[in-house]
Amino acid sequence: MPTVLQNIFRFVLLVLFQVLVLNNIQFLGYINPYLYILFILALPVQIPRWFLLVLAFILGMTIDIFSNTIGMHAFATVLVAFFRDGIIKLFTNIEEGNNPTPSFYTFGVSSYIKYVVLMVIIHHTTLFLLEAFSFSHFWIMLAKILLSSMVTILLIMGIQSIKTK
Amino acid sequence: MKNLINFLIQYSVVFLFLFLEIISLTLIVKNQEYQKSVFLSSSNSVVSGMYEWSNSVVEFFKLRAANDNLSEENTSLKNQIINLQNKLSTLKPEASDSVHFRIPPEMEYQFISAKVINSSTNKLLNYITLNKGAIDGIKVDMGVISDEGVVGIVKTVSKRFSVVIPILNPKIEISCKFKRNNYSGGLLWSGEDYRYANLTDIARHVELALGDTIITSGLTSTFPEGIPVGAIEDFKIKESDAYYKIKVKLAVNFRTLSHVKVINYLNFQEQKDLEKKSEEL
Repeated sequence: MPTVLQNIFRFVLLVLFQVLVLNNIQFLGYINPYLYILFILALPVQIPRWFLLVLAFILGMTIDIFSNTIGMHAFATVLVAFFRDGIIKLFTNIEEGNNPTPSFYTFGVSSYIKYVVLMVIIHHTTLFLLEAFSFSHFWIMLAKILLSSMVTILLIMGIQSIKTK
Repeated sequence: MKNLINFLIQYSVVFLFLFLEIISLTLIVKNQEYQKSVFLSSSNSVVSGMYEWSNSVVEFFKLRAANDNLSEENTSLKNQIINLQNKLSTLKPEASDSVHFRIPPEMEYQFISAKVINSSTNKLLNYITLNKGAIDGIKVDMGVISDEGVVGIVKTVSKRFSVVIPILNPKIEISCKFKRNNYSGGLLWSGEDYRYANLTDIARHVELALGDTIITSGLTSTFPEGIPVGAIEDFKIKESDAYYKIKVKLAVNFRTLSHVKVINYLNFQEQKDLEKKSEEL
């Protein structure tokens, strides 16, 4: 079961990196990347949907517990996990029976970029909206969403591009 | 009933999704009420343990700032001690037949703390650059010490920086004496090893022992008496020699030197002037 082990390892690594490093980054007061979402992005395509949702909830809760934001990350992560299948179907045509792990190689570069961008933006938008819980600081929030999403996307792209097939 | 079950199975994922989202939302709302739920917040022992560990790593990077602060504080405390000592000695009851009591000159010192920003130990003529200069009150010929012992003498001063000639430079000779018996000599670096220097001018009738402590003599106005310089590592004397060759292990490790104190002898100018005057006469 190398895939399972690999994913457990990735889970632990991403949570630690998020909690210990990225959560301490407050660059310019706007940028706070949430790289842990890569765990959801990189799960195999044909993973059962209920299992994906449960995993997303656990991941979100773990991050929440560490950053004292009970429920927010869980909500956002479960939301992207729910939309994941639809987004994958939208951008790619993976045949029945195939079970690839999303990456540049399996999806193709442009499809994978679209997939990552959409997922990250959904996640970050939900998260920052929940954090603010209002639309009163709309422009600041928009800047936060866009800048943080950009950094997260770049980080994910960077990690995926150094990964060999 | 069968339809209902089918319906539930078909949309089970959606129900799970909604269920999880409702839990999350409830938690968010609830958490805003209670601010921090005791169980799921960082006060949780596992989480706080991990943060403590993480903090211990980060703390390491903050040591530099902490060091700077401590050094500053140390200096100001030392200045306070000296001020108090001065006050105390003026308040001491005078012996009836003594002339008017003055503060002993070796107590009129102030310390200016500085940080080493450039130094060498491996050349023949080594220099140390400090991050304080004329605007901080540093002047040429002031003595420089660290917490371990004597470092050197200020050679040149610019507005914000100053260059020190350390013991590790044959251009200066520092007047030292034995703590044990007050015989004094000059300390000169041989140019080889940053850990050792040579003590000269100790006549052969002086009794020595390995490990004897060497301190500043106080015979020059640069250093007050009693600042540690080093200890005797080795000494030898030939039949024909009048003076010992003494190898001294320096008290200061110049390789790791980072914070120093510049000694400001308040009566320096007065002493210099007087000495000059008497030479002219």
